[in-house]
Amino acid sequence: MKKRLIWNDCRENKPVTAAVVIFMTLSAALMGLSVLLFGSLLNSIDKLMETAETPDFLQMHSGEIDRGAIERFAALQPDVDRMQIAEFLNLENGKLSLGGQTLADSTQDNGLCVQNEQFDFLIDLEEKRIRVSPGEVYVPVCYRSEYGTQIGDSFRMDTQELTVAGFLRDSQMNSMMASSKRFLVHEQDYARMKPLGSEEALIEFKLKDGADRNAFSTAYGDAGLPANGPTITWPLIRLMNALSDGMMILIVLLVSVVILAVSILCIRTILLTGLEKDKREIGMMKAVGMARRDIRSLYYSKFLILSGIGALLGMGIVFLISGPLCRQMQELYGRPDHPVRIWLLSVTGTLAVVGMILLSVRRTLRVTERMTAVEALYGTGRWGKKKNRYLFAAAVTAAATALILIPQNIASTLSSPRFVTYMGIGSSQIRIDVRQTEQIDAVTEELLADLEKDSRTEGAVAMETRSYRAALEDGREYSLLIENGDHGRYPVSYREGSWPTGEDEIALSVLNASELGLRTGDTLTVRLNQAEAGETVRCRVCGIYSDITNGGKTAKACFSHPGTVGPPMWSVLYVTLKEGNKPADWTARYQEHAREYGAGIRVTDISQYVGATYGQTILRIRKAAMLATAVSCLVLAAVVLLFVRLTVWQERNDCSLKKALGFLSSEIRQQYLKRSLAYILAGTAAGVFLGLVPGQKLAGLLLGSLGASGFHFIIDPVRVFLILPAVTVTVAVLAARISLNEVDRIRASECCIGRE
Amino acid sequence: MKELLRVSDLCRKNILKKISFSVGEGEMVAVMGPSGSGKSTLLYNVSGMDQADSGEVWLGDREIVGMSEDDRARLRLTRMGFVFQQMNMLANLNLLDNILLPSVHAEKSRAFRAQQTEKARGLMERFGIGDLSERKITEVSGGQLQRACICRSLMLSPQILFADEPTGALNQTASEEVLQAFLQIHEEGTAILMVTHDSRVAAKCERILYILDGELRSELQLGRYSAEKSGAREQSAAEWLNRMGW
Repeated sequence: MKKRLIWNDCRENKPVTAAVVIFMTLSAALMGLSVLLFGSLLNSIDKLMETAETPDFLQMHSGEIDRGAIERFAALQPDVDRMQIAEFLNLENGKLSLGGQTLADSTQDNGLCVQNEQFDFLIDLEEKRIRVSPGEVYVPVCYRSEYGTQIGDSFRMDTQELTVAGFLRDSQMNSMMASSKRFLVHEQDYARMKPLGSEEALIEFKLKDGADRNAFSTAYGDAGLPANGPTITWPLIRLMNALSDGMMILIVLLVSVVILAVSILCIRTILLTGLEKDKREIGMMKAVGMARRDIRSLYYSKFLILSGIGALLGMGIVFLISGPLCRQMQELYGRPDHPVRIWLLSVTGTLAVVGMILLSVRRTLRVTERMTAVEALYGTGRWGKKKNRYLFAAAVTAAATALILIPQNIASTLSSPRFVTYMGIGSSQIRIDVRQTEQIDAVTEELLADLEKDSRTEGAVAMETRSYRAALEDGREYSLLIENGDHGRYPVSYREGSWPTGEDEIALSVLNASELGLRTGDTLTVRLNQAEAGETVRCRVCGIYSDITNGGKTAKACFSHPGTVGPPMWSVLYVTLKEGNKPADWTARYQEHAREYGAGIRVTDISQYVGATYGQTILRIRKAAMLATAVSCLVLAAVVLLFVRLTVWQERNDCSLKKALGFLSSEIRQQYLKRSLAYILAGTAAGVFLGLVPGQKLAGLLLGSLGASGFHFIIDPVRVFLILPAVTVTVAVLAARISLNEVDRIRASECCIGRE
Repeated sequence: MKELLRVSDLCRKNILKKISFSVGEGEMVAVMGPSGSGKSTLLYNVSGMDQADSGEVWLGDREIVGMSEDDRARLRLTRMGFVFQQMNMLANLNLLDNILLPSVHAEKSRAFRAQQTEKARGLMERFGIGDLSERKITEVSGGQLQRACICRSLMLSPQILFADEPTGALNQTASEEVLQAFLQIHEEGTAILMVTHDSRVAAKCERILYILDGELRSELQLGRYSAEKSGAREQSAAEWLNRMGW
């Protein structure tokens, strides 16, 4: 009988039943999808890092290496399990082509390497260590789709040529956010190609289980071993791997949490309205002696069945759309090794969401206990306080608008050229890196003079980075990469304070500031030479900025003389062009010209750099933004449709009376539409505010994981203030208008003779 | 006659003021009084549908006022039957399922359900609605629906049937059919406590209680009903009610 009762109830209230199923399905699907994507991503990355035996600590170094000193250091460290020095042959992108396509535009440091012997292995798509034969090359898997490379294509380096034998997964450098890419070749070919590029060393350590990576990193730094390049640890590699897809998943998770909250509220309102309608029937059931539990169970069973349907549909959706969403992820990191476990986890996530909704239904059903049989039978009591339904529709409009705006704003922020200033890159149009060349300071000076003479440039500054040591108050020494130059000309974004303007000022990257425990206004003593008792300068920390370049540990100063710490490790020139000059054209031409100064010079159009580095992330976020927009519009339409219908149902008698008095259906509809529109507009305005202010804080937390702190949205005003609000208002108004067709079905006589 | 229901000093807000009376086993008692006198409130509090403020209500050996809501509900389900003026039934069930509703909740075994379905069909047949079992509640007349409500109230063989204006919403023919049904039930030994506005209906009962301003003012003994004496009973009831200021 219960089955029949539920079936008949669902049949009689099709729109309401459909709305409940939609809410449950969406909540279940989104949560299931977030869990599945997160699980797959982390599992694939962990599996890849395990198969590849990713190093725990990695020091990049260009220049001479005292192999003996490093081996002696390793032998003394109890935590070191294995160590190796891998070589990376940095090639000039302009001389490279893959399947006939030049890599000149690539913003990555592309180079060759051979398979390692002890750990940090390069893995093929079958998840096995690659054995490469002479004449063959394995290409980073991310280039397969980017350049449409196929097995058998040729890989040309200047005059030399190799055949692409397959694709490789590199646990360290798979992500486009890692700035280097390794091509795997045979030892013979590597030796043959050596004259084509400059060599860089990767000093790698595999530590014993449970070893403290930070302590090891400090010990390495303190030992004065080669450190002319970024330092990278295992967690940073894992983070870099997880970020581009992780951002998309975080957005899906955010959407799923909001949709769950909206669903719980909507289902509660649907339930309360249903109980109000069934008050007499509930009274009768109470009167004839049905226990409270049995009455609750009648309603609960219906939701239990609907939630089952919702969970199944949700899982079906996850099954359908997880494939395309996971494909790119699996291409980069491989298939997860516990797919069943991940699916189970996803199903658990789905069931947890449905469980939460059912828990809320259970709680809501307790209101049936508030009234005695008599109060319910004669309609003298209410289940709860009467709530303004329009206010709720306005709140859902606000939530939907904010959900649409936040991912859109994140995408527009990441796409903006200004975003790089949150990453430690100056706000210019072009950046010229001078590395791996003799006489970096002399070359930099010449380039600067050359740029100043160029009629197309508007301005240029040069920054030289040298390795200094800071004397800490507790007597420890701390090695510090300081970038010296005019930082006010093309400033990065400062989370606190500002750039250094005097000899005694220093700005620190967030990572350095937190490691040193310093804030703006504190002081730091910097040694200007190698000797411990030599000249020092006491600097006030004038600003803290976020930086993900060079391992994230940098500092900025404007010393008039850099001291005697040695030649610069690298230098960067920032350039802006006069109006009418396209950065891409200028960059291509200047790259050719810069060859005269040596091979280690790279000219980058910053907007192109952003595209290449964050392109995949932006693409994923755009996908997530589209999903968020679709889901938000669907939920908004369902909620408005439902609530207008419930309101009309509740005010049916008034509508009938108005009709009896001579009002037209269209006039009554218009009254409702005007009232709805006022709330929808208010909700949209609130949504824009939520999307911009708390949304920015939330996005800041997400982007903080990218290393961008102190972040502000860079918005597209037309989109944010006009197009997207217009979308939500249109969806809501259309839904309200469709729902108001119900008014046509109300008869004028109903108020006098009741409804048949 | 053995006492079945005993009410002592029953109070509810300012509506019932220390009412006391009793109903014997198989007795049929009418409660009359002007609108707002507290008749329906008395019925709800005596049957445990509403919670009385003070006083005692004994149904056999069970005291109702001090019981928890769930215990009262259980007692209503197993030992009482209800018929209301508004024929409350679940719109999403057919007539037969509505009649079976309390029984299905009293005991969930398949055998019991089959037995109760048989019983329900028998009752429907007896009260002249045997061919309507599959109909929706919107597809039958008011009199048929009220008889279905009576069937529902009898499913678990209650000791006492409470009826609140059972003929109040019906036309004369339907009223007569429903009243005949009540008399049949009474004949079979079920006690009935019925609130009514109709002196002709009340005249069919063995006793009439008259309530005014929440107090029991008087009662009239009419004795066991017989069709031959119905005219004299109606007259005597009408005269008594006149004296009461009806």
